[in-house]
Amino acid sequence: MGILSLLTFFPLIGVVALLIMRKASDNALKWVAISTAIATFGMSLVVLGQFETGVAGLQLIDRFEWIEAWGIEYHMGIDGISILMVLLTTFIMMLAIPSSWNAISSQVRQYYIFMLLLEVGMLGVFLAQDLFLFYIFWEFTLVPMYFLIGIWGGKNRVYAAIKFFLYTMAGSLLMLLGILYMGITNDTFSLPDLISGRAAFADVQNWLFLGFAIAFAIKVPIFPFHSWLPDAHTEAPTAGSVILAGVLLKMGTYGFIRFNLPLFPEASVEFAPAIAVLAIIGIIYGAIVSFAQKDVKKLVAYSSISHLGFVMLGIFSLNNQGIQGAILQGVNHGISSGALFFIVGVLYEQRHTREIKEYGGVWKAMPVFSALTLIVTLSSMGLPGLNGFVGEFTILLGSMGAESLGASPWIFTAFATTGVILAAVYLLWMFQRVFMGPLDNPANEKLRDLNSGELAIMLSFMLFIIWIGVAPSGFFSLMDGTVSKLVADIGSVLLAGQ
Amino acid sequence: MGIFGLAPLLLVFPLIGVLFNGLVGRRFVEYNRQTGEKWSGWFGSLMALSAFAIAVAMFFGLGAHEFHAETVVLFDWIHVGDFYVPWAMQIDTLSVTMMLVVTGVGSLIHIYAIGYMHGDPNFSRFFTYLNLFLFFMLILVSGNNYLMLFVGWEGVGLCSFLLIGFWFDRVNEKGETMNANAARKAFVANRVGDLAMILAMTLTFWTFKSLEFQPVFDSAVEMFESGHMVHFGAFEATLGGVLTAITALFLAGAAGKSAQIPLYVWLPDAMAGPTPVSALIHAATMVTSGIYLIVRSNVLFEIVRASEVVIPGINISSPDLVALTGAATAVFAGLIAFTQFDIKKVLAYSTVSQLGFMIAAVGMGAYVAGMFHLITHAFFKALLFLGSGSVIHGMEHGHHHLSHGHHDEHDTFDPQDMRTMGGLRHKMPTTFAVYMIGSLALAGIVPLAGFWSKDEILAHAGTNPGWIFTVVYWMLTVAAFCTAFYMGRQLKMTFFGKPRHAAAEHAEESSPLMTRPLMVLAALAVLGGLLNFPFFSESAYKAASEAHDYGINLALEHWLEHSIASFELSEEGIVHMPHTPTWIQFDVAIISTILAVVALLAAVFLVYRNRWQTADERDPLQSTPIWWMAVLPFDTLYMKGIIPLFNRLADFLGYKIDWDLWHNFVHERIIRDTFVGFANFASDVLDRQGVDGLVNGAGQLTRWLSGGLRMSQTGYARTYALSILLGTVALLAYFLWPVIF
Repeated sequence: MGILSLLTFFPLIGVVALLIMRKASDNALKWVAISTAIATFGMSLVVLGQFETGVAGLQLIDRFEWIEAWGIEYHMGIDGISILMVLLTTFIMMLAIPSSWNAISSQVRQYYIFMLLLEVGMLGVFLAQDLFLFYIFWEFTLVPMYFLIGIWGGKNRVYAAIKFFLYTMAGSLLMLLGILYMGITNDTFSLPDLISGRAAFADVQNWLFLGFAIAFAIKVPIFPFHSWLPDAHTEAPTAGSVILAGVLLKMGTYGFIRFNLPLFPEASVEFAPAIAVLAIIGIIYGAIVSFAQKDVKKLVAYSSISHLGFVMLGIFSLNNQGIQGAILQGVNHGISSGALFFIVGVLYEQRHTREIKEYGGVWKAMPVFSALTLIVTLSSMGLPGLNGFVGEFTILLGSMGAESLGASPWIFTAFATTGVILAAVYLLWMFQRVFMGPLDNPANEKLRDLNSGELAIMLSFMLFIIWIGVAPSGFFSLMDGTVSKLVADIGSVLLAGQ
Repeated sequence: MGIFGLAPLLLVFPLIGVLFNGLVGRRFVEYNRQTGEKWSGWFGSLMALSAFAIAVAMFFGLGAHEFHAETVVLFDWIHVGDFYVPWAMQIDTLSVTMMLVVTGVGSLIHIYAIGYMHGDPNFSRFFTYLNLFLFFMLILVSGNNYLMLFVGWEGVGLCSFLLIGFWFDRVNEKGETMNANAARKAFVANRVGDLAMILAMTLTFWTFKSLEFQPVFDSAVEMFESGHMVHFGAFEATLGGVLTAITALFLAGAAGKSAQIPLYVWLPDAMAGPTPVSALIHAATMVTSGIYLIVRSNVLFEIVRASEVVIPGINISSPDLVALTGAATAVFAGLIAFTQFDIKKVLAYSTVSQLGFMIAAVGMGAYVAGMFHLITHAFFKALLFLGSGSVIHGMEHGHHHLSHGHHDEHDTFDPQDMRTMGGLRHKMPTTFAVYMIGSLALAGIVPLAGFWSKDEILAHAGTNPGWIFTVVYWMLTVAAFCTAFYMGRQLKMTFFGKPRHAAAEHAEESSPLMTRPLMVLAALAVLGGLLNFPFFSESAYKAASEAHDYGINLALEHWLEHSIASFELSEEGIVHMPHTPTWIQFDVAIISTILAVVALLAAVFLVYRNRWQTADERDPLQSTPIWWMAVLPFDTLYMKGIIPLFNRLADFLGYKIDWDLWHNFVHERIIRDTFVGFANFASDVLDRQGVDGLVNGAGQLTRWLSGGLRMSQTGYARTYALSILLGTVALLAYFLWPVIF
């Protein structure tokens, strides 16, 4: 059993422990979950240690026949596209699990079991290199998330949970059809084999592309498939939102890069302008709608649509800057929006309201928390020197040089860049209404500043916000080999097309 | 490397200051107000002074290095494919000039602020921000590439936001959070310019395959000489066309940061910040970044000028557009200043107007003159702002003294309203003396600093051929007249006549901690002209040229020409930079001096001769069309037009479209209800017996899932979780069987 399988299923140790500790106190259960998450993060660092940068292909492969009759394999592997997603997953989980310490008081055992199962599912999604296996992990992540929202969520949790489940499930069905079609024509579900044998389904690749694209577009979500997102986010418990924004949405963008681009390169080139247009509508629309929100959590939720618009634009620039920027921006969004949801959670725990107008002048009551929140807010709006800017700028740079966007790529770049202004508009407006102004609501006077646990979580976010902002080269070099080869592959297709 | 190895300290010192005041400064102040403030304030000031010392070392280092630029690479920043940007500092005469101004004026303002901010509950936070500002400003001027410049560019914008909103909890009588609003307005207006900067940088990279200054300029010249087309992706254009776009975008960026039409609106509001901030950020340093950007990019602007490409639609080239924008801003803001009653707002509009002079200068290719005015302006405008701060302090002191006696009216008192001042020259003699020097320097009275720098710009505009230069010359001359007039008005209202309010009557001179930096700045405002003193005659210039001994004449020009490559390119005949006269143009000088004197005298002895015996008198200009400037400008358009429109659009999209239409109607009514209806139909009518068919199954699934949740809510969740878990375990066992064995 290879290290990747060990990593993926490692959280199950915690699950088993939680199950057998029948008499343990809630705090003991929490500690089990926290230490499992920390150990899994440590495990992912071991994987990082064994990962060879600059290598384009899959590494640390774990590959066995599974269902021979159908050509299904158990195939796990890691490359430059996966590695950051894996690290992001274990990192976010490590922060999300302790962040639930006070927030979750009922059915604690089940809560942490679902959290750890979710981690297994997400790691599997990012490591599976067999389409069938991928699909199982992909669908599997829905189950724990469904319960996390449906049991520990807000007032409309049942509605939001069902909507989340059905909406994503419906999108995935088309992908399943695509997977089955390719598997049957090529007699294998293994991704590398399908890529080298993609000629066999080249004639229907536009349909296959769309099947995959819709599944992923719902997950991202790309405008106009975003209707499930505000519900899921506002109803989910804090940790659920952190994971949803931090990792689950990235499964969509990851899917595009992992499957759509290499399996259907001609279709990717052909659909690039259309998807870029949707991405840009998402950037602008998400930002404007975000501005109008009165609920701070919904505001952050809608801002995800705007941010992921940038990621999609980067992916379909189909060049090195665009795709690497997109992957990094996925990580950045996970950190910044994850942190923003955590921040909302900190306020919600004390005041039990997310209405912006209930707040104001919080800076005076919680100076440390507010200063750190300001940094997160600035990171989310792409202040240079912090992480968001590096991703956003490389994406915009990629879009300006994108051959896939035709002879006037600057039109795309120009519209996308308006997101930079709009981000400042909605985020600063939020920040001003919550944190600045006079402290005139008596209920806010009793707010206490961060406790040491919350501070530790905030500082962990902060570490990467600054690290990626100032010295991102290490992060880029992890993905450079794989992405460069992917880009060269698509480039040769483009060249052949001319 | 030698002395240049010290360059990183330029950034390290302010950063230490940020960490000290940000992390522990507050404790010091809370522990003991008196000594804590000293520690916090002096530590911050010491860091600023240390950075100044490093800048001086760089100055001498360059002298010993025959003025050759030196690059100090710190570490890699972004490296993606063929896109590479390092953290690297470029030490050359231009960046060192900016460093000296920033840290020099900055240090004085830090020291002044120890006195000014005395007693503020957030004393150490203020110094954290000031040091942070220095840090970003030094990144801006020392970076060797556009992206690093942009880090500083947005970083100083952030500090501006923080400092304008320093008193973020203040509300006005209408209950609006004016300071926080002003802070946000500044950030957003700057972001509009930043959009242009980002576009310009992406375009620059794909055109020249670099964002580092030297490679960009080198390949621009190389491409210009060889006549290569710009080609990347599927995009193709001429070099002149692309550079026109890049330079026009730089102008838009500069309009945001350096407060030019149509983005200047944030700067007057920015006066809500503490006065040292107005002096440092909103007069002397940050707002000149746009000028620095254009001077730094002089090669690109000169290539556009030489390739004679015009902007489609308006038929003027981008450098000419820069010049006209600057000149129009100079006049426009100069007129608005007539209508202001707030002592700082007059200075704010004056700053906008003077920045217009600088932008006009660099647009006309008078890069040295623009930098010259930038430096002298930093001296006298910082002096004026700090002087106004001293006045405000004095007024507040007087009012404080007053309200001990009677408590009736202290709510409506505005210490910045010039109508309540008057006669302060007797109460605050030192402040009056330095303020007078600053005002005369700004008005362009011989031989103070402002005269020399402003006249160099006017002489450049007046002596070069072409209608653009003529138009700019006359606009700037009108603007110069305006400058002298509003300064005359301000002097009259503030210092002369009789006190019109009890607070003015009881005003007191500020502490030496505040007045001493003022004296230093006053000395600089007097002597600053020597920096680029022009020759008195053509023959003197020729004699000096032949002898290769310029003495003090044109010192700044000779210093800066090592960084402004257009000088050399002009000599080689590659570009044709407009020539700045190297000796005094007596006709220009005489006209501008006469106009300045006339304007000053007209304000003091004609228009406002009998004005303001009491605080509630009207301004005599209030009944003239000039007063329309108080309401007509862009601010009204934005606040009354665009912003309400945007709010409505956001509400419409957010609630009507996204929620009511898309979320509720399409998803709930159409998709869900149709589906549920169909599923019910299928199960009730087509197959009453049970689960049959995909559609039906999905309908059942819905109910199954909601049933599961209902169970969970009624306490069956444990069972449910267990069953899911069992399923998972079974699945995993199936997975793991071949893996393990």
